[in-house]
Amino acid sequence: MSMQALNQLVARSIIDPNIVQSHAAGQIDDVIADFEFAPEVRKHLGGLETNSFAEFTLLAYRVVKAAEVPVRSIELPSPAEGLFGDQDQSDREHVA
Amino acid sequence: MIPFSREEREWFLRNLAKGLLDYFGVTEPPVQVEDMLKQPPPIYDADFGVVDMYSNLWDATFARPPSRRGSIFVRIDLEQDERRFALAREMLSALITSKHGRALGLPDLLLPNLRESAEYFARYLLIPDILLDAYRVNGGKKRGFADRFKIPAQIASVRWAD
Repeated sequence: MSMQALNQLVARSIIDPNIVQSHAAGQIDDVIADFEFAPEVRKHLGGLETNSFAEFTLLAYRVVKAAEVPVRSIELPSPAEGLFGDQDQSDREHVA
Repeated sequence: MIPFSREEREWFLRNLAKGLLDYFGVTEPPVQVEDMLKQPPPIYDADFGVVDMYSNLWDATFARPPSRRGSIFVRIDLEQDERRFALAREMLSALITSKHGRALGLPDLLLPNLRESAEYFARYLLIPDILLDAYRVNGGKKRGFADRFKIPAQIASVRWAD
């Protein structure tokens, strides 16, 4: 979500002078409020101190990438593991 | 300027291209890059233009004569697909040196690798991901790709592999 918002922010900045003007005036918070950043990312971006808007976008990219949680696939137990588990237990019962 | 990676630079370039494509409402190939230059967003009125020239030295180059509008000077005898790519490539120089581009900080980010950045930008301006994906989903093959997007075959090959 935040990466999509950042992509939109960068894309719009190339034709919208208000974005760079807000950044130069230290009011980037006002701009990023218009995009769907995650709340914790938005807070972090608002605190970035940079010399240019381009530099801001690079640091923002790092912030957003770091905040992205990889989507984990559902981890089901392997059927093979289940069989081996039963086998182990059965072996132990025989020994007992 | 902070140090940055090639991946970060290319991410930025893709979004610059996307910003222009969104502005012009591009929905299908071929991307009309010459129309973009002739009817630019208002913020680039002083930066986008096309001037045909006779030259054997280069295909196209951006120049900003003192106190005049910046323009891409392009060889008049180029094939159409080569012309489109050359114009798209030189458009990045127009953006970087524009008043707005300088305010954004584009020179520090993009001038150190200008040629590479410009060619990458041009590939994504002429063949944005969304149109490439649609082409593939609709059964488009590598053969015919260059013709569909009206780009040089060599550029099509690079973009197909991107």
